[in-house]
Amino acid sequence: MIRRITLVLMLVIIFGVFVLSMIDLQSLYNTSGKDYFFANGVFETGSLNLVTGIYLDYRLFDSLFEAGILIVAVSGVMWISQHEIEEKNATFMFDKQKTPNLFVTFSRLVYPLMLGFGIYVIVNGHVSPGGGFQGGAIVATAILILYYIDINKTTDVAKILTIEKILFILIVLIGSVGLITRGEVFTNFFTLSTSTNLKSIYLIALNILIGTKVALGMVAIFTAFLKEGR
Amino acid sequence: MSPILTFIVILVGLYGLATSKNIIKSVFCVTIIEAGVILLFLNLGNLEGGSIPILDGIVENIVDPLPQALMITTIVIGATITALALMLCIKIFHHYGSIEWKEVLGKEEK
Amino acid sequence: MSEYISYGLQVLLIVIAIAIVFHKRNFTIIILIATFGLIAAILYLMNKAPDVAIAEVAIGSAIIPLIYVVSISRQREFIVLDRAQDGFITYGETFSGEGYEILDQFVKSYDLSLNLCVDIRGSEQDLTSQLNVDLIITKDTTRNLYILKGKSSSVLMSKLRQMVKDKPNIRVEVFKGGESND
Repeated sequence: MIRRITLVLMLVIIFGVFVLSMIDLQSLYNTSGKDYFFANGVFETGSLNLVTGIYLDYRLFDSLFEAGILIVAVSGVMWISQHEIEEKNATFMFDKQKTPNLFVTFSRLVYPLMLGFGIYVIVNGHVSPGGGFQGGAIVATAILILYYIDINKTTDVAKILTIEKILFILIVLIGSVGLITRGEVFTNFFTLSTSTNLKSIYLIALNILIGTKVALGMVAIFTAFLKEGR
Repeated sequence: MSPILTFIVILVGLYGLATSKNIIKSVFCVTIIEAGVILLFLNLGNLEGGSIPILDGIVENIVDPLPQALMITTIVIGATITALALMLCIKIFHHYGSIEWKEVLGKEEK
Repeated sequence: MSEYISYGLQVLLIVIAIAIVFHKRNFTIIILIATFGLIAAILYLMNKAPDVAIAEVAIGSAIIPLIYVVSISRQREFIVLDRAQDGFITYGETFSGEGYEILDQFVKSYDLSLNLCVDIRGSEQDLTSQLNVDLIITKDTTRNLYILKGKSSSVLMSKLRQMVKDKPNIRVEVFKGGESND
């Protein structure tokens, strides 16, 4: 009982410190970064969506490390749940669940729509809200619906991991082409005087690579969860 | 739209993390804290007001686009770390037989 | 007007967070997590950030509850391998037999569900550490004993020992359950 009261007291003290620090927020607020992005964003990156321009051109380094964290997490999940003996003759008795027919028909109808919507969100990342990470999550959800249709169908996880590593190397390579044409690394490789339509080729290519990588990573994690203990 | 109400969500999540008897419930509370932190960052970027940062026509003032770009990667990383933590929970259950903190640490017998 | 809507939604978020912290059954908290993610996405949109809202809906309401459901349903099972198939547990439409009643009572007191299987080959060391089998039943024909083997690091074995203390033809043994990845 004493522990709970001490805990609540400490939380109230933290709350008081936060309220005290928010008193003179207006005087600390600095808008020079926002003004720079507003004035020069479209010309330097070539995308109408400023958020996509930031994480694909001004801060590509952060996105590279985020892709790296995805690879490390997927390989960690794979390593924790590994099996060495073959499961050829394991018949669990209570495992005969069959998905209802309504689910199967509905999934067959919805699956192409979700896949199409996901690809649309990925490719149109520089004009409307969307992009690589968001579209990749939608495509991953669309592929996971296939497990409803047939619960015994499993994919080859080794092939998925190999494709994911190749995609990561491709992202680093395309990001550093700018060293040859512009003299700076990790930025758009078209020079600043080309039109906006040509500059967006780089954005579309990077968005497709990042989206595919995120989708394959999520599918690999989920396959490891389903296989655990079968 | 105030940052103070958002900070209360983070505090509720911290309280739940400190007093949870189940391992799975601790992972639930980490998800709550993460959503609260993202909402706090977006609130602080929207203090002056403006419009969505897509320059599709004629706009006068936009919201700061930099916190939004950082928070997208935060959401994806949070999901993968949750998956890693849950895989460890499954392994703990099969090794020890229960998923309560005190029994796994060996302080109480059931 | 839209200020009041955003204040109301933030208060609703606090209420759902308190409900998640103080609820007892793990399975119904998953639906509360999905609702939490959706209301947070509406609040992100009201703060003029549509990219973050799409990411939160796709990940926080579709992928994360799926992972939670799969992992919680894996922790409800107690896997038993039966290698002495001669009447200890009889199969058919429903299971019956002396061993089945003991196992049923033992499993019900921990709120788990039983999963019986019959023919898996492999040594016992491999089975417990790799395929997550929890109990192996064998029969010792020379002394007419049934031997139940389990892991030594499991906290459920002491309860099983107490339950079969006064039955002369059943014995419980433990062995060290394989190498773990510590």
